[in-house]
Amino acid sequence: MDPGVRLMERVRARDTSAFEALYDGYHRLVFGIGLRMLGDPSSAEDLTQNVFLKIWTAPETFRGGSFVAWVSRVARNRALDVLRSKSARPEIEIPADLPLEGALDDDVLANLDAQRVRDALSALPPEQRSLIEMGFFGGATHQELARRTDTPLGTVKTRIRSGLRRLRESLGERVTR
Amino acid sequence: MSAQPDREAMLDSVALYALGVLPREEAALIAAFIANDDGARREYVELRGAADALAHSADEPVDSARSARMKERLMARVRADAAAAAARPRRSAERRPAPAYPAWLWGTGLAAAAAIVFAVVTVAQDLTLRGDLAAADRRVGTLQSRLAQNERAAAQDRQMLADLLSPDATHYQVAEGSVVVRGDRLYFALSKLPPLPKGHVYQAWTAVKASTKMAPGPTFVPNPGSVTVVPLRVDATRVGTVALSVEPEGGSKAPTTTPTFVRPLT
Repeated sequence: MDPGVRLMERVRARDTSAFEALYDGYHRLVFGIGLRMLGDPSSAEDLTQNVFLKIWTAPETFRGGSFVAWVSRVARNRALDVLRSKSARPEIEIPADLPLEGALDDDVLANLDAQRVRDALSALPPEQRSLIEMGFFGGATHQELARRTDTPLGTVKTRIRSGLRRLRESLGERVTR
Repeated sequence: MSAQPDREAMLDSVALYALGVLPREEAALIAAFIANDDGARREYVELRGAADALAHSADEPVDSARSARMKERLMARVRADAAAAAARPRRSAERRPAPAYPAWLWGTGLAAAAAIVFAVVTVAQDLTLRGDLAAADRRVGTLQSRLAQNERAAAQDRQMLADLLSPDATHYQVAEGSVVVRGDRLYFALSKLPPLPKGHVYQAWTAVKASTKMAPGPTFVPNPGSVTVVPLRVDATRVGTVALSVEPEGGSKAPTTTPTFVRPLT
Protein backbone atom coordinates (compact mmCIF):
# COMPACT_ATOMS: atom_id res chain seq x y z
CA MET A 1 0.00 0.00 0.00
CA ASP A 2 1.09 3.58 -0.69
CA PRO A 3 2.71 4.58 2.65
CA GLY A 4 0.91 7.92 2.38
CA VAL A 5 -2.44 6.15 2.62
CA ARG A 6 -1.51 4.47 5.89
CA LEU A 7 -0.18 7.72 7.30
CA MET A 8 -3.36 9.55 6.30
CA GLU A 9 -5.41 7.07 8.33
CA ARG A 10 -3.40 8.10 11.38
CA VAL A 11 -3.56 11.79 10.51
CA ARG A 12 -7.35 11.49 10.53
CA ALA A 13 -7.00 10.30 14.13
CA ARG A 14 -4.97 13.50 14.81
CA ASP A 15 -1.63 11.72 15.10
CA THR A 16 1.00 14.44 14.81
CA SER A 17 3.88 11.99 14.38
CA ALA A 18 2.11 10.51 11.33
CA PHE A 19 1.70 14.01 9.94
CA GLU A 20 5.40 14.66 10.49
CA ALA A 21 6.26 11.47 8.62
CA LEU A 22 3.93 12.52 5.81
CA TYR A 23 5.71 15.86 5.57
CA ASP A 24 9.12 14.17 5.53
CA GLY A 25 8.02 11.83 2.77
CA TYR A 26 6.22 14.20 0.44
CA HIS A 27 7.34 17.80 0.99
CA ARG A 28 9.97 17.54 -1.74
CA LEU A 29 7.33 16.62 -4.29
CA VAL A 30 4.95 19.40 -3.21
CA PHE A 31 7.73 21.99 -3.08
CA GLY A 32 9.01 20.82 -6.48
CA ILE A 33 5.59 21.21 -8.11
CA GLY A 34 5.31 24.69 -6.58
CA LEU A 35 8.74 25.66 -7.82
CA ARG A 36 8.12 24.39 -11.35
CA MET A 37 4.75 26.14 -11.59
CA LEU A 38 5.39 29.37 -9.70
CA GLY A 39 9.04 29.82 -10.52
CA ASP A 40 10.39 31.10 -7.22
CA PRO A 41 11.36 29.32 -3.98
CA SER A 42 9.50 31.57 -1.56
CA SER A 43 6.18 31.10 -3.41
CA ALA A 44 6.87 27.35 -3.49
CA GLU A 45 7.49 27.45 0.26
CA ASP A 46 4.16 29.20 0.90
CA LEU A 47 2.43 26.69 -1.31
CA THR A 48 4.00 23.78 0.58
CA GLN A 49 2.80 25.22 3.87
CA ASN A 50 -0.70 25.68 2.49
CA VAL A 51 -0.93 22.18 1.10
CA PHE A 52 0.25 20.49 4.28
CA LEU A 53 -1.97 22.63 6.46
CA LYS A 54 -4.91 21.58 4.30
CA ILE A 55 -3.91 17.95 4.82
CA TRP A 56 -3.92 18.47 8.57
CA THR A 57 -7.10 20.55 8.81
CA ALA A 58 -9.18 18.64 6.25
CA PRO A 59 -7.79 15.09 5.99
CA GLU A 60 -11.25 13.83 4.98
CA THR A 61 -10.78 15.43 1.56
CA PHE A 62 -8.49 12.50 0.75
CA ARG A 63 -10.96 9.79 -0.09
CA GLY A 64 -8.58 6.92 -0.80
CA GLY A 65 -6.71 5.88 -3.92
CA SER A 66 -3.18 7.02 -4.55
CA PHE A 67 -2.01 9.51 -1.95
CA VAL A 68 0.88 10.68 -4.06
CA ALA A 69 -1.42 11.42 -7.02
CA TRP A 70 -3.86 13.19 -4.74
CA VAL A 71 -1.28 15.38 -3.03
CA SER A 72 0.21 16.28 -6.42
CA ARG A 73 -3.21 17.40 -7.63
CA VAL A 74 -3.80 19.44 -4.49
CA ALA A 75 -0.41 21.12 -4.99
CA ARG A 76 -1.09 21.80 -8.66
CA ASN A 77 -4.55 23.17 -7.87
CA ARG A 78 -3.11 25.58 -5.32
CA ALA A 79 -0.41 26.69 -7.73
CA LEU A 80 -3.04 27.29 -10.42
CA ASP A 81 -4.98 29.43 -7.93
CA VAL A 82 -1.86 31.52 -7.38
CA LEU A 83 -1.21 31.84 -11.11
CA ARG A 84 -4.85 32.80 -11.69
CA SER A 85 -4.72 35.46 -9.02
CA LYS A 86 -1.77 37.03 -10.82
CA SER A 87 -3.40 37.17 -14.24
CA ALA A 88 -6.79 36.80 -15.88
CA ARG A 89 -6.48 33.12 -16.64
CA PRO A 90 -9.48 30.92 -17.36
CA GLU A 91 -10.43 28.53 -14.61
CA ILE A 92 -9.00 25.11 -15.34
CA GLU A 93 -10.73 22.03 -14.05
CA ILE A 94 -8.44 19.42 -12.57
CA PRO A 95 -10.15 16.05 -12.68
CA ALA A 96 -11.63 15.06 -9.38
CA ASP A 97 -10.95 11.72 -7.77
CA LEU A 98 -13.55 9.80 -9.72
CA PRO A 99 -14.42 6.50 -8.06
CA LEU A 100 -12.81 4.39 -10.77
CA GLU A 101 -13.04 0.63 -10.74
CA GLY A 102 -9.91 0.57 -12.86
CA ALA A 103 -8.06 2.84 -10.49
CA LEU A 104 -4.33 3.14 -10.71
CA ASP A 105 -2.17 0.88 -8.70
CA ASP A 106 -1.24 2.95 -5.65
CA ASP A 107 2.09 1.20 -5.09
CA VAL A 108 3.09 1.86 -8.66
CA LEU A 109 2.61 5.61 -8.41
CA ALA A 110 4.12 5.72 -4.95
CA ASN A 111 7.28 4.02 -6.14
CA LEU A 112 7.89 5.97 -9.33
CA ASP A 113 11.12 7.85 -9.15
CA ALA A 114 11.64 11.32 -10.54
CA GLN A 115 14.53 10.42 -12.81
CA ARG A 116 12.60 7.67 -14.52
CA VAL A 117 9.71 10.02 -15.27
CA ARG A 118 12.12 12.71 -16.51
CA ASP A 119 13.78 10.14 -18.78
CA ALA A 120 10.39 9.07 -20.15
CA LEU A 121 9.47 12.70 -20.77
CA SER A 122 12.78 13.36 -22.54
CA ALA A 123 12.12 10.44 -24.84
CA LEU A 124 8.93 12.08 -26.18
CA PRO A 125 9.05 14.01 -29.44
CA PRO A 126 9.74 17.66 -28.49
CA GLU A 127 6.42 18.91 -29.87
CA GLN A 128 4.52 16.48 -27.62
CA ARG A 129 6.71 17.01 -24.56
CA SER A 130 6.52 20.80 -24.64
CA LEU A 131 2.71 20.80 -24.92
CA ILE A 132 2.35 18.35 -22.05
CA GLU A 133 4.77 20.24 -19.80
CA MET A 134 3.32 23.64 -20.64
CA GLY A 135 -0.15 22.32 -19.94
CA PHE A 136 0.67 20.49 -16.74
CA PHE A 137 3.17 22.84 -15.13
CA GLY A 138 2.33 26.07 -16.93
CA GLY A 139 -1.38 25.95 -16.17
CA ALA A 140 -2.30 26.71 -19.79
CA THR A 141 -5.57 25.60 -21.34
CA HIS A 142 -5.55 23.77 -24.66
CA GLN A 143 -6.65 26.95 -26.43
CA GLU A 144 -3.78 28.89 -24.88
CA LEU A 145 -1.38 26.13 -25.90
CA ALA A 146 -2.65 26.36 -29.47
CA ARG A 147 -2.18 30.15 -29.48
CA ARG A 148 1.24 30.12 -27.85
CA THR A 149 2.67 27.44 -30.10
CA ASP A 150 0.80 28.63 -33.18
CA THR A 151 -0.57 25.13 -33.67
CA PRO A 152 -4.11 24.19 -34.75
CA LEU A 153 -6.30 23.19 -31.82
CA GLY A 154 -6.98 19.73 -33.25
CA THR A 155 -3.22 19.10 -33.54
CA VAL A 156 -2.66 20.20 -29.95
CA LYS A 157 -5.28 17.73 -28.76
CA THR A 158 -3.89 14.86 -30.80
CA ARG A 159 -0.31 15.56 -29.71
CA ILE A 160 -1.23 15.64 -26.05
CA ARG A 161 -3.14 12.40 -26.33
CA SER A 162 -0.33 10.69 -28.25
CA GLY A 163 2.25 12.05 -25.81
CA LEU A 164 0.38 10.78 -22.76
CA ARG A 165 -0.04 7.41 -24.43
CA ARG A 166 3.66 7.19 -25.17
CA LEU A 167 4.51 8.28 -21.67
CA ARG A 168 2.32 5.56 -20.25
CA GLU A 169 3.90 2.97 -22.54
CA SER A 170 7.36 4.21 -21.70
CA LEU A 171 6.72 4.00 -17.97
CA GLY A 172 5.26 0.60 -18.73
CA GLU A 173 3.48 -1.32 -16.06
CA ARG A 174 4.48 1.29 -13.52
CA VAL A 175 1.40 3.33 -14.32
CA THR A 176 -1.03 0.58 -15.24
CA ARG A 177 -2.79 -1.92 -13.07
CA MET B 1 -18.75 13.37 -40.83
CA SER B 2 -18.86 9.75 -39.63
CA ALA B 3 -19.26 8.74 -36.02
CA GLN B 4 -15.69 7.42 -35.71
CA PRO B 5 -13.84 10.74 -36.20
CA ASP B 6 -16.31 12.32 -33.75
CA ARG B 7 -15.45 9.73 -31.22
CA GLU B 8 -11.71 10.15 -31.78
CA ALA B 9 -12.05 13.91 -31.28
CA MET B 10 -13.87 13.30 -28.02
CA LEU B 11 -11.23 10.83 -26.86
CA ASP B 12 -8.60 13.49 -27.62
CA SER B 13 -10.54 15.72 -25.26
CA VAL B 14 -10.50 12.95 -22.65
CA ALA B 15 -6.68 13.19 -22.77
CA LEU B 16 -6.90 16.96 -22.18
CA TYR B 17 -9.22 16.33 -19.26
CA ALA B 18 -6.79 13.76 -17.78
CA LEU B 19 -3.96 16.27 -18.08
CA GLY B 20 -6.12 18.97 -16.46
CA VAL B 21 -5.92 21.57 -19.22
CA LEU B 22 -9.61 21.97 -20.01
CA PRO B 23 -11.53 25.06 -18.92
CA ARG B 24 -14.25 24.31 -16.39
CA GLU B 25 -17.16 24.38 -18.84
CA GLU B 26 -15.62 21.96 -21.31
CA ALA B 27 -14.34 19.75 -18.49
CA ALA B 28 -17.89 19.30 -17.21
CA LEU B 29 -18.98 18.01 -20.62
CA ILE B 30 -16.08 15.57 -20.82
CA ALA B 31 -16.63 14.35 -17.27
CA ALA B 32 -20.22 13.52 -18.31
CA PHE B 33 -18.92 11.72 -21.40
CA ILE B 34 -16.49 9.67 -19.29
CA ALA B 35 -19.21 8.80 -16.83
CA ASN B 36 -21.46 7.47 -19.59
CA ASP B 37 -19.06 5.76 -21.96
CA ASP B 38 -17.02 2.68 -21.05
CA GLY B 39 -14.41 3.26 -23.76
CA ALA B 40 -13.88 6.85 -22.64
CA ARG B 41 -13.58 5.66 -19.07
CA ARG B 42 -10.87 3.15 -20.00
CA GLU B 43 -9.01 5.80 -21.97
CA TYR B 44 -9.25 8.19 -19.04
CA VAL B 45 -7.94 5.66 -16.52
CA GLU B 46 -4.93 4.90 -18.72
CA LEU B 47 -4.04 8.49 -19.53
CA ARG B 48 -4.72 9.74 -16.04
CA GLY B 49 -1.97 7.37 -14.87
CA ALA B 50 0.50 9.05 -17.18
CA ALA B 51 -0.69 12.52 -16.13
CA ASP B 52 -0.38 11.63 -12.44
CA ALA B 53 3.13 10.34 -13.04
CA LEU B 54 4.16 13.68 -14.56
CA ALA B 55 4.17 15.33 -11.14
CA HIS B 56 7.06 13.09 -10.11
CA SER B 57 9.34 14.83 -12.56
CA ALA B 58 9.19 17.86 -10.25
CA ASP B 59 10.38 15.91 -7.21
CA GLU B 60 13.77 17.47 -6.41
CA PRO B 61 15.84 17.72 -3.24
CA VAL B 62 14.96 20.78 -1.16
CA ASP B 63 17.65 22.86 0.47
CA SER B 64 17.97 21.38 3.98
CA ALA B 65 17.75 24.74 5.82
CA ARG B 66 14.55 25.63 3.96
CA SER B 67 13.12 22.18 4.54
CA ALA B 68 13.79 22.38 8.28
CA ARG B 69 12.35 25.91 8.52
CA MET B 70 9.15 24.89 6.76
CA LYS B 71 8.80 21.83 8.95
CA GLU B 72 9.34 23.78 12.15
CA ARG B 73 6.65 26.33 11.28
CA LEU B 74 4.21 23.68 10.20
CA MET B 75 4.71 21.36 13.17
CA ALA B 76 4.36 24.21 15.66
CA ARG B 77 0.97 25.01 14.19
CA VAL B 78 -0.11 21.38 14.00
CA ARG B 79 0.92 20.56 17.58
CA ALA B 80 -0.89 23.62 18.92
CA ASP B 81 -4.00 22.63 16.97
CA ALA B 82 -3.82 19.02 18.22
CA ALA B 83 -3.42 20.18 21.83
CA ALA B 84 -6.43 22.52 21.52
CA ALA B 85 -8.55 19.77 19.95
CA ALA B 86 -7.61 17.30 22.70
CA ALA B 87 -8.70 19.79 25.38
CA ARG B 88 -12.15 20.44 23.83
CA PRO B 89 -13.91 17.08 24.38
CA ARG B 90 -12.72 16.89 28.00
CA ARG B 91 -14.27 20.24 28.86
CA SER B 92 -17.45 19.34 27.04
CA ALA B 93 -17.76 16.05 28.94
CA GLU B 94 -17.28 17.83 32.23
CA ARG B 95 -20.12 20.24 31.49
CA ARG B 96 -22.70 17.71 30.35
CA PRO B 97 -22.68 14.46 32.37
CA ALA B 98 -24.64 11.68 30.67
CA PRO B 99 -28.07 10.97 32.27
CA ALA B 100 -28.20 7.70 34.23
CA TYR B 101 -31.19 5.28 34.11
CA PRO B 102 -31.64 2.13 36.23
CA ALA B 103 -30.82 -1.10 34.35
CA TRP B 104 -34.30 -2.65 34.87
CA LEU B 105 -35.88 0.32 33.04
CA TRP B 106 -33.75 -0.34 29.93
CA GLY B 107 -34.71 -4.07 29.93
CA THR B 108 -38.46 -3.47 30.23
CA GLY B 109 -38.47 -0.73 27.62
CA LEU B 110 -36.56 -2.81 25.10
CA ALA B 111 -38.87 -5.83 25.52
CA ALA B 112 -41.98 -3.68 24.96
CA ALA B 113 -40.47 -2.04 21.90
CA ALA B 114 -39.55 -5.43 20.41
CA ALA B 115 -43.12 -6.75 20.90
CA ILE B 116 -44.64 -3.74 19.14
CA VAL B 117 -42.21 -3.98 16.23
CA PHE B 118 -42.97 -7.71 15.79
CA ALA B 119 -46.76 -7.14 15.71
CA VAL B 120 -46.52 -4.31 13.20
CA VAL B 121 -44.20 -6.25 10.92
CA THR B 122 -46.47 -9.36 10.86
CA VAL B 123 -49.59 -7.41 9.84
CA ALA B 124 -47.70 -5.35 7.30
CA GLN B 125 -46.18 -8.44 5.67
CA ASP B 126 -49.60 -10.03 5.14
CA LEU B 127 -51.02 -6.92 3.50
CA THR B 128 -47.93 -6.28 1.43
CA LEU B 129 -47.59 -9.76 -0.09
CA ARG B 130 -51.07 -9.60 -1.65
CA GLY B 131 -50.29 -6.46 -3.55
CA ASP B 132 -46.71 -7.31 -4.38
CA LEU B 133 -47.26 -9.26 -7.58
CA ALA B 134 -49.45 -6.65 -9.25
CA ALA B 135 -47.17 -3.86 -8.12
CA ALA B 136 -44.11 -5.68 -9.46
CA ASP B 137 -45.77 -6.05 -12.87
CA ARG B 138 -46.55 -2.36 -12.98
CA ARG B 139 -43.01 -1.53 -11.90
CA VAL B 140 -41.48 -3.66 -14.69
CA GLY B 141 -43.64 -1.84 -17.25
CA THR B 142 -42.64 1.55 -15.88
CA LEU B 143 -38.95 0.66 -15.75
CA GLN B 144 -38.97 -0.63 -19.33
CA SER B 145 -40.51 2.58 -20.56
CA ARG B 146 -38.08 4.65 -18.49
CA LEU B 147 -35.14 2.65 -19.85
CA ALA B 148 -36.22 3.35 -23.43
CA GLN B 149 -36.53 7.06 -22.62
CA ASN B 150 -33.09 7.07 -20.98
CA GLU B 151 -31.52 5.36 -23.97
CA ARG B 152 -33.01 7.97 -26.31
CA ALA B 153 -31.83 10.78 -24.03
CA ALA B 154 -28.34 9.26 -23.78
CA ALA B 155 -28.10 9.02 -27.59
CA GLN B 156 -29.11 12.68 -27.88
CA ASP B 157 -26.57 13.67 -25.20
CA ARG B 158 -23.81 11.80 -27.02
CA GLN B 159 -24.68 13.55 -30.26
CA MET B 160 -24.74 16.89 -28.49
CA LEU B 161 -21.35 16.32 -26.84
CA ALA B 162 -19.86 15.23 -30.14
CA ASP B 163 -21.19 18.39 -31.80
CA LEU B 164 -20.01 20.75 -29.07
CA LEU B 165 -16.50 19.32 -28.91
CA SER B 166 -15.97 18.68 -32.58
CA PRO B 167 -13.10 20.62 -34.18
CA ASP B 168 -15.34 21.31 -37.17
CA ALA B 169 -18.07 22.96 -35.07
CA THR B 170 -18.33 26.74 -35.43
CA HIS B 171 -18.49 28.71 -32.19
CA TYR B 172 -20.05 32.17 -32.32
CA GLN B 173 -19.09 33.99 -29.13
CA VAL B 174 -21.61 35.97 -27.13
CA ALA B 175 -20.99 37.60 -23.75
CA GLU B 176 -22.90 34.82 -22.00
CA GLY B 177 -21.14 31.89 -23.70
CA SER B 178 -21.35 30.71 -27.27
CA VAL B 179 -23.69 29.67 -30.06
CA VAL B 180 -22.47 26.44 -31.61
CA VAL B 181 -23.30 25.26 -35.10
CA ARG B 182 -22.32 21.95 -36.52
CA GLY B 183 -23.85 20.80 -39.76
CA ASP B 184 -27.57 21.42 -39.48
CA ARG B 185 -27.55 21.41 -35.68
CA LEU B 186 -27.56 24.50 -33.51
CA TYR B 187 -26.95 24.89 -29.76
CA PHE B 188 -26.65 27.59 -27.15
CA ALA B 189 -23.88 26.80 -24.61
CA LEU B 190 -24.25 29.49 -21.97
CA SER B 191 -22.58 29.86 -18.59
CA LYS B 192 -22.85 33.53 -17.71
CA LEU B 193 -26.55 34.24 -17.78
CA PRO B 194 -27.89 36.68 -15.19
CA PRO B 195 -30.42 35.24 -12.72
CA LEU B 196 -34.03 35.34 -13.92
CA PRO B 197 -36.73 37.44 -12.30
CA LYS B 198 -39.39 35.32 -10.56
CA GLY B 199 -41.94 33.83 -12.96
CA HIS B 200 -39.71 34.25 -16.01
CA VAL B 201 -37.67 32.02 -18.30
CA TYR B 202 -35.11 32.50 -21.03
CA GLN B 203 -36.39 31.93 -24.57
CA ALA B 204 -34.33 31.27 -27.68
CA TRP B 205 -35.24 32.84 -31.04
CA THR B 206 -34.16 32.20 -34.60
CA ALA B 207 -34.56 34.13 -37.84
CA VAL B 208 -34.01 32.55 -41.23
CA LYS B 209 -31.39 34.07 -43.50
CA ALA B 210 -32.37 37.44 -45.02
CA SER B 211 -35.29 37.79 -42.63
CA THR B 212 -35.75 39.79 -39.45
CA LYS B 213 -38.78 37.89 -38.26
CA MET B 214 -37.94 35.95 -35.13
CA ALA B 215 -39.44 32.50 -34.65
CA PRO B 216 -39.91 31.30 -31.06
CA GLY B 217 -37.56 28.59 -29.81
CA PRO B 218 -37.34 26.61 -26.59
CA THR B 219 -37.62 28.18 -23.15
CA PHE B 220 -35.29 27.22 -20.32
CA VAL B 221 -34.03 28.08 -16.87
CA PRO B 222 -30.22 28.01 -16.64
CA ASN B 223 -28.33 25.75 -14.23
CA PRO B 224 -26.58 28.04 -11.78
CA GLY B 225 -22.82 27.57 -11.68
CA SER B 226 -22.58 25.33 -14.72
CA VAL B 227 -22.98 25.33 -18.47
CA THR B 228 -26.51 25.28 -19.83
CA VAL B 229 -26.66 23.63 -23.23
CA VAL B 230 -29.86 24.22 -25.21
CA PRO B 231 -30.38 22.38 -28.50
CA LEU B 232 -32.51 24.41 -30.91
CA ARG B 233 -34.58 22.09 -33.05
CA VAL B 234 -34.15 23.96 -36.31
CA ASP B 235 -32.24 23.44 -39.54
CA ALA B 236 -29.11 25.46 -38.70
CA THR B 237 -28.16 25.81 -42.36
CA ARG B 238 -31.20 28.06 -42.88
CA VAL B 239 -30.73 30.23 -39.78
CA GLY B 240 -29.22 33.68 -40.22
CA THR B 241 -29.60 35.15 -36.72
CA VAL B 242 -30.26 33.84 -33.24
CA ALA B 243 -31.34 35.72 -30.14
CA LEU B 244 -32.18 35.19 -26.50
CA SER B 245 -34.61 37.10 -24.32
CA VAL B 246 -36.28 36.92 -20.93
CA GLU B 247 -39.95 36.02 -21.23
CA PRO B 248 -42.82 35.16 -18.91
CA GLU B 249 -43.08 31.46 -17.97
CA GLY B 250 -44.55 29.47 -20.84
CA GLY B 251 -42.73 31.62 -23.41
CA SER B 252 -43.96 34.17 -25.92
CA LYS B 253 -44.83 34.23 -29.61
CA ALA B 254 -42.56 37.23 -30.17
CA PRO B 255 -39.88 38.77 -27.92
CA THR B 256 -41.42 41.00 -25.27
CA THR B 257 -38.19 42.27 -23.71
CA THR B 258 -34.93 43.68 -25.00
CA PRO B 259 -32.95 40.61 -26.07
CA THR B 260 -30.09 39.45 -23.86
CA PHE B 261 -28.20 38.99 -27.12
CA VAL B 262 -28.78 39.00 -30.85
CA ARG B 263 -26.12 37.13 -32.81
CA PRO B 264 -25.90 36.97 -36.59
CA LEU B 265 -24.36 33.65 -37.63
CA THR B 266 -21.67 35.14 -39.81
